[in-house]
Amino acid sequence: MAPTALKKDTTKKRLIIFGVLTASLILVSIFAIPLCPYDPYLQDLSNAKAPPSAMHLLGTDRFGRDLFSRVLAGSHTSILSTLLLVAIITIIGTAVGLLAGWWGGKIDVILMRLSDVFLAFPGLVFALAVAGVLGGGLHNAVAALAAISWPKYARIARSQTAAIQKTPFLAAARISGNSNARLILFHVLPNIIGPILVTSMLDIGTMMMELAGLSFLGLGAKPPAAEWGSMVSDGRSMLSDSPWIPFSPGFAILLSVMIFNMLGDTIRDYADPKHARR
Amino acid sequence: MKKICLALLLFVFTLGELSGCASGRPPASGDKTSQKTLTIGDTTFNPENAEPDVNPHNDYAGWACIRYGVGETLVHYSDTMEVEPWLAKEWENVDEKTWKITLQDGVRFHSGRTMDAEAVKQCLEHLIEVHDRAPNDLMIDTMEANGQTLLITTKEPRPALLNYLGDPYGCIIDVDAGFDDGIVAGTGPYIALECESGDHLKLTKNTDYWNGTPQIDSLIIRTITDGDTLSAALQAGEIDAAYGMAYESYPLFENEDYVFSKIATSRAFFCWMNYESPVVSDPAVRKAIAMGIDKQSFVDTLLDGNGYPGKGAFPDSFSFGGDQVETEEYDPQGAMQVLEEAGWTDEDGDGIREKEGQTLSLKWLTYPSRQELPLLAEAAAATLKEIGMDVDIQVSADHNTIVEDPKAWDVYASAQVNAPTGDPEYFFSVCCLDSSSKNKGHFHSDKLETLEKKMAVEFNPAKRSDLAVQMQQAILDDHGYVFCSFLQMSQIAKANVKGYTAHASDYYQVTADLDIE
Repeated sequence: MAPTALKKDTTKKRLIIFGVLTASLILVSIFAIPLCPYDPYLQDLSNAKAPPSAMHLLGTDRFGRDLFSRVLAGSHTSILSTLLLVAIITIIGTAVGLLAGWWGGKIDVILMRLSDVFLAFPGLVFALAVAGVLGGGLHNAVAALAAISWPKYARIARSQTAAIQKTPFLAAARISGNSNARLILFHVLPNIIGPILVTSMLDIGTMMMELAGLSFLGLGAKPPAAEWGSMVSDGRSMLSDSPWIPFSPGFAILLSVMIFNMLGDTIRDYADPKHARR
Repeated sequence: MKKICLALLLFVFTLGELSGCASGRPPASGDKTSQKTLTIGDTTFNPENAEPDVNPHNDYAGWACIRYGVGETLVHYSDTMEVEPWLAKEWENVDEKTWKITLQDGVRFHSGRTMDAEAVKQCLEHLIEVHDRAPNDLMIDTMEANGQTLLITTKEPRPALLNYLGDPYGCIIDVDAGFDDGIVAGTGPYIALECESGDHLKLTKNTDYWNGTPQIDSLIIRTITDGDTLSAALQAGEIDAAYGMAYESYPLFENEDYVFSKIATSRAFFCWMNYESPVVSDPAVRKAIAMGIDKQSFVDTLLDGNGYPGKGAFPDSFSFGGDQVETEEYDPQGAMQVLEEAGWTDEDGDGIREKEGQTLSLKWLTYPSRQELPLLAEAAAATLKEIGMDVDIQVSADHNTIVEDPKAWDVYASAQVNAPTGDPEYFFSVCCLDSSSKNKGHFHSDKLETLEKKMAVEFNPAKRSDLAVQMQQAILDDHGYVFCSFLQMSQIAKANVKGYTAHASDYYQVTADLDIE
């Protein structure tokens, strides 16, 4: 009994640490624009490619724009669009899975085969194709990634719903005269949401990478928008003579993906004692 | 014992592998008995740049044809862009409309056919039949072939005919040899063997070449659109020479292992205004754009000094270029005043001006294969925003299609060699007249049309030069085009590559002089 309690305790500590880190990351991204010391789009060609200094903490890019401000402004774009993306796929995927699992039959077959179609493509390649057809822009990149990422959630929600349908408590609820909508919202959803939330937490890091990846390839944020992926792409040719230009946004991606992934792992461990083995 | 045997066996295998590697390596290129191989990386040899193959009768593919030593034209340009003999030995203006051209003797096409007047006539006839720009440029009425003498009669007096015949589309090829896979039989020092559009071109030396001895047995042109990949390829030795290197990569090659060949060209980075656009059709907006782009800083900082700020359509090196014309200087305050006076004001305080419900927002179309263009777009977007214009940048490889739709863009920034024939008329006839094939912004000026009529029949070079200045001034006064900068072109090669020299025309890259030691 004692070791398990101890593990639970360290997990709790980790949860608090990463929870605080994530919260501050999200807070920074929300209030990024007023926090910027300079206008992230203000060009000053006379001060281009300046190395990090007290004036410009992370230096300036080739247009003389302050990189610290751009990385901050980029967090606004990158983190918020990632969270939006994950929210979209979680809601759509769960809704589809619930419907399929609850009604079964033809609806189940149609919805699940549809999700099979999406799962059959290699993810990023399909996103590239969708973003290519829709054209550049961050909104289109989010739409493209959303289009390919929801089936995973539909699968989880469906299997959980199907399993729960056979439980006595649901039969009792049904006999008590609850409507279908009420049953789904108040009895099924609260019981299946755990694994779905854990999955979505774990997905944030991945989605952030994929979004940055699309921008890196020129299919996401358009210039001059401050977005980490496109900033790395812009700066990569200057890696040899002004390394701070690609390094700053690159490090920002690394840091936030790590924090989100750690938080996701910790939540998984915390929610499911079976995983807490380390 | 077993272990020792195994170890010995492994050792022997390893030695075998290593010696195998050694013998498998390509022999040093300096070895006289060996085949000489040279690979050039090029960012622009692709369909996106209208250079899908080496068939000069196809769009701008003539550039590839002449650059890589496949084709040659009747006349050659000197370093100062004067016309000099090439496949044509001499020429004579019989009267205003008649030209007598005498061809070189002993020139043979890659197909083995002898180049005579009949072959040239056949080639030019095919060119006029299939090409979009050539018929209007050349205005050839009839041709008469007689041995090595070709008599050309034009529909109207055509003072710049010879200049136009030096355009890459004028590469003389054997039409009978066909155009399979975009490969043609020219007369140049190298024979095209294999062409995969947008990927590579394989050539071999023409042992029967009339004007020197080509040295390279196997010449490969690789299309590498991405600047970083190009610089990595040259560093890694995958390619021996590079065309179109990104400026920020220059420091990597500024050492004794590489040589630069630099030259000023008439390649201009400039903006086309769309007269169909509800915003840009306002003269005040066009004027403000002309005043709102900081050309000097663009050249100094973003091009690292590898260029010259532009005023008119032609650079300083031409008698009709440089400071001969007047245009707006960078003046954000003045630009704001111009917009203010025209009624463009920022009512809602978002920093962007409006007028009668129309927001001052520009769709700026450009493309990535010329690395300077996306930089120009971003730099201009920042300075134009300061005067209250919102710029929405679209960098698309598909620009040639998008530009056809007048609703899809307001400003189109492109890179183009404005005096490829050394003569000023080319730029106006291709870009600015009602009849121009590339006038996608539907620019029109009565004054320009009148001047062009004079230019078309003017034989005196000094007067043509005067007219060119007036014509530039006409388009600049209307702010129909904004010329931002001219390119200083650099070709970079490994130090053991000889004769890889940049030419002011940007045409001649591979010549019989090219060699590797």
